[in-house]
Amino acid sequence: MTAIKEAPASRGAATSRRPSGVERAKSRAGWILLAPALIHSFIFIAVPAIIAVVLSFTDARIVGRGGFIGFDNYIELAGDTKFLRALGSTLIYTAGVVPVGMAIAIVIALALNQNIRARGFFRTLFYVPVVTSTVAVAAVWLWIYNPSAGLANQVLALFGLERSSWLTDPDIALPALIVIGIWQGLGAKMIIYLAALQGISEELIEAARLDGASRWQIFWNVTWPGLAPAHFFVLVTSIASSFQVFDLVFVTTGGGPANATNVLTFDIFTNAFQRLQSGYASAETVIMLIFVGILIYLGRLSQRETKDN
Amino acid sequence: MATSLDPVQAPALTAGAVGQFADPTASSPRRRLPQLGRIALYLVLSVGGFLMVVPFLWMFLTSLKSLSEVNTFSLLPEGFRWQNYVDALNAAPFGLYFRNSLIVVVGQTLPTLAIATAAGYALAQLPMRGKGKILNYFIALLVVPFQVLIVPLFLVVRAIPLAGGNDILGQGGTGWINTWWALIIPFISSPLFVFLARQFFVSLPADLADAARVDGVTELGIFVRIMAPLAKPAFVTIALFNVESAWNGFIWPLVATSDERLRPLQFGLATFAQGAGTIQWPLLMAMSTLATLPMILLFVFGQRYFIAGLANTGIKG
Repeated sequence: MTAIKEAPASRGAATSRRPSGVERAKSRAGWILLAPALIHSFIFIAVPAIIAVVLSFTDARIVGRGGFIGFDNYIELAGDTKFLRALGSTLIYTAGVVPVGMAIAIVIALALNQNIRARGFFRTLFYVPVVTSTVAVAAVWLWIYNPSAGLANQVLALFGLERSSWLTDPDIALPALIVIGIWQGLGAKMIIYLAALQGISEELIEAARLDGASRWQIFWNVTWPGLAPAHFFVLVTSIASSFQVFDLVFVTTGGGPANATNVLTFDIFTNAFQRLQSGYASAETVIMLIFVGILIYLGRLSQRETKDN
Repeated sequence: MATSLDPVQAPALTAGAVGQFADPTASSPRRRLPQLGRIALYLVLSVGGFLMVVPFLWMFLTSLKSLSEVNTFSLLPEGFRWQNYVDALNAAPFGLYFRNSLIVVVGQTLPTLAIATAAGYALAQLPMRGKGKILNYFIALLVVPFQVLIVPLFLVVRAIPLAGGNDILGQGGTGWINTWWALIIPFISSPLFVFLARQFFVSLPADLADAARVDGVTELGIFVRIMAPLAKPAFVTIALFNVESAWNGFIWPLVATSDERLRPLQFGLATFAQGAGTIQWPLLMAMSTLATLPMILLFVFGQRYFIAGLANTGIKG
C-alpha cells in the first residue's frame, strides 16, 4: 500500500525537474524487470477473466463458435434446478466449513499462543493437512468413510451408534464432506490468527492487567479487537476456497449421490467439459463470483459494526 | 470460576505474578488453577492434534496391510507388507506420474522465482510511472478464483498462435492443449508471488543499491547480484509455496491434458481411487503415502518460511 502513496510523489519529481540519467536508468530497468510478470498475468489471468464474463452472454460451446444471446444463459440458470441445488449445496458447504473452522482455529491459535512446550510440534500437526494434496487426502477419507471396514463407522460403534453409509447416503454425504473441509482448512486459518495474536503488544496486555482488568476483560478488550484484521482476511480466503471445492468432490463422490454433493464448481466442470457448453458454464462462474463478492461484502460490513461497538 | 478454568486463557496467569500479589484473597485458588489450566491446555492441543493426524496414521497403517485384511476393520496391520509400495508402483504407471509431477514442479518453480521476484523488486524499489496502479492491478488479480479461469484459460491455451496446428490467429488446431506447455507456461508467475516479493523488497534499505550505483554497477546487476541475495527468505518462501501448489494441482491437468504420458501424480491417484471394480485400499493408501510424504517433509523442514510467507501476505496485505 505504501507504493500507492509514493506514486504521486515520484510523478511530481518527474515533471518538476528533468529526470537525471540515473533515474531514467532505474525506471527503464524497472519496466524490463516488471514486463514478464505483467505480460504473463495479462495473457493468463486478466484476459481469461474478461473472456469468462463475455462468454456468459453467448451460447459458445467448447468446440466451435457461439453467438451473442444476451441474458439468456442467466434466465435459463434461474430455472435450472440442478444449478440451483448446486448453489444451495455450495452455500451449505460454506456455511458449514467457514464459521466452525474459524471458531476452532481461534481456540487453537489462542492455545498455541500461550507459553507452552512443543509449540512448533503442535503447530505442525494442525498445519499438515493444508500442505498435503486434496486428492490424496480425499482418497484417505474415502477409505475412512468406507461403510464396511472404514474407521468412521468403527468410531460410531465405539459410542454404540448405528453404522452409517456416509458418502452414499444423500442426507449424510454433504455433512461428511463438510467435516473434511473443516479438517483440511483449519491449519491455514489457525496460522493467520496466530500471526495476528503475536502482533498484539505484550505491554498493552500488561498495562491492562496492572489496571486491574480480569483475564476475561483483557481477552474481550485487548486480544479480541487485535484479531479483527485477521478475521476479515480469514473470512475472505475461507469463503473463496470453500466456494472452489472441487478435487474433494471429484475423488470422493463425483457429485453424488443423487446430486447431493454436486457443488457449484462441479456443476460448472460438468457443463463445460462434459456437455461442452462453455457459455452456459461461464454464466455459472459469473454467478459464483457475484456470490463470493456478496459474502465478502457482508463480512466486511459485520466487521465494521463490531469495530464501532 | 468458569472463565478461570478456560483452558485457553488460564496459563496467562503464570505470567501475572504481579496480579497475584495485588489480590491476596484470591491467591490460594489462583495458585492451583494455572496447573489445572495448563493440563487442560495440553489436553486440548493433544486431542486436537491427534485428531488432525489420525487420517494420516490410518493411511500409513492401511498401506502395510494385506488385501484380505482390509475386508474387515482392524487398527494395526498383521505384518508390515512393504511389498505394497512396490505393487502400487506397478499397478499403475506411478513411476511415470512421479516423473511428470517433478517436471511440472521444476518447470513452474524456476521461472516463477525469476519472473515474480523481478517484478516484486521493480514494484518495491524502482521509480516508475503508474507503479501504484500496477500494484493494484496485481492485487485485483490476486483475488480472482482459479476456478473462474478454468474454462477461459482452456480456450486461451488452445488458441495460442502457431502452436498445435493453429494458424497465426490461433484457430484451426489444438494450440498447447495436451502439451507440457499447457501444464507449465500458465503458471510461470503468479500475482501472489509478485505481491509477496514486493512486500519483502519494500523492507530492504536502498543504501546498498545506491552505493553499488556509485560504483557503476548496472541496474540489472544490482538486482541480480546485490538485492536478490539479500532476499533469500523471499525466494525460499515462494519456491516452497509454488512447489506445493504445483505438486498438488489436479483440476488443470485434468482439463488441459488427455495424454497419459503427461499426467501428473494427483491425476494417477484420482484415477486409481475411482478405478472400476473394487478399490485395492492398501495399494491406494501406499500411493497416497508416497504422494503426501514429500510435501509433509517439505513443510516440516521449511515451516518457518511457510509461516512467514502466510503472515506477510495475510496481515500486512
